[in-house]
Amino acid sequence: MSLLTMIVKMSEGLGKTCAIFFLTLLFALPLGMIVALLRMSKIKVVSAVTRFFITILRGTPLMLQLLAVTYGPYYLFGTTVARNKLVPVVIAFAINYAAYFAEIYRGGIESISVGQYEAAEVLGYTKLQTFLRIILPQVVKRIMPSVTNEVVTLVKDTSMAFTVSYQEMFTIGKQIANSQTSFMPFVVAGVFYYVFNAVVDYVMGRIEKRLDYYR
Amino acid sequence: MAEESILSIRSLQKSFDSLTVLQDISLSVERGNVISVIGPSGSGKSTLLRCATFLETADGGDILYDGQYALRDGVYAPKAELSRFRTRFGLVFQNFQLFPHYSVMKNVTEAPVLHGEDREEVRERGLELLKKMGLEGKENAYPYQLSGGQQQRVAIARALAMRPEILFFDEPTSALDPELTGEVLKVIRQLAEEKMTMVVVTHEMPFARAVSNRVIFMAGGVIVEQGDPLQVFDDPQEERTRQFLRVFER
Repeated sequence: MSLLTMIVKMSEGLGKTCAIFFLTLLFALPLGMIVALLRMSKIKVVSAVTRFFITILRGTPLMLQLLAVTYGPYYLFGTTVARNKLVPVVIAFAINYAAYFAEIYRGGIESISVGQYEAAEVLGYTKLQTFLRIILPQVVKRIMPSVTNEVVTLVKDTSMAFTVSYQEMFTIGKQIANSQTSFMPFVVAGVFYYVFNAVVDYVMGRIEKRLDYYR
Repeated sequence: MAEESILSIRSLQKSFDSLTVLQDISLSVERGNVISVIGPSGSGKSTLLRCATFLETADGGDILYDGQYALRDGVYAPKAELSRFRTRFGLVFQNFQLFPHYSVMKNVTEAPVLHGEDREEVRERGLELLKKMGLEGKENAYPYQLSGGQQQRVAIARALAMRPEILFFDEPTSALDPELTGEVLKVIRQLAEEKMTMVVVTHEMPFARAVSNRVIFMAGGVIVEQGDPLQVFDDPQEERTRQFLRVFER
């Protein structure tokens, strides 16, 4: 198999790689905020339970979580989550990344001084107005570097979908590597991820720059 | 005719765990008066302001604005009522607490707009206030681009934009160097001349002496002495007051 054929075949999986990537962000970014708020809840049971789930999601391999969500339901209930494997894959990724984002959000929210809340309170902002208008915009700016880190990791983590044989770029590459006994598909995959992340870096850099109008 | 009290505090109590920070504090603030609160660190001055502005929950006593109970015998009015009380006062913090992601103008105007006031009207009021604070042309600047003194004057404009009946200052110049302190005190003095009702917690003794109608000296969570500034500064009746004021005679 020529290098060009490999590249073409692997490119066919890029759509699925992108699907995992974008869908995970779409769900994990807001879900992480919900988890962060639950984690910071004044109700002790809520924050303790949330904390426990976060430790599980961060303390066990993503690969295991992928297997659990994809095949677990079959062993437990004799059925699968959905016929399309993208569904369990995205569920596993979204939940896992939400746990990480939640901790980043929490760090960001807790770094805003109490005085900002107090200033808003005295000026008559409601709790929701204070959070959405005063706190959240400042949090977003502060956590951007950490979020970029996670997003870059996510690009590479999409390759993990090979464990459940979801036909994204890396899975296809691995299959070609096996059948052709060639290392080239991995080199191609490496280049793909590198370029993907170069784009991610550029985009995140632009966002950070746009938030640069204040300090 | 008795002067009208905007704020009355009676027998206010506040403890943090076992530490009593306010003990039986009573005072009233009449319309158009400037009250300075002086005293050593940890005397409860700031806690008093924070209780008056509901940032801290008092354990006992009364707080009345315009004769209406916000706190009665240690029990607070319902939340909705407290929000209405909040529109009566403004608070200026020691470290400004401007919103860094907002322009000067938005810092000043957002709260009144959120309260349903006409955007254009609030904008005009904002421009006027900024001009009065000597910040003409700074509408579009961001807080980080301003000096500490300018930031504090924005914070004063922000508080005034809500048209409070009474303005509290919690050590407004303590985070500023002497040069910038002067420009902030100047605008507070100007407000005093316009008969703005104010309570100022401060370490600036000459300012307190010159501008206040009444000085309150606090120590150890109690009001040790209060009265006419000239009397408190020149002829203090209590030993604790004399001891405190001696530090400034250098």
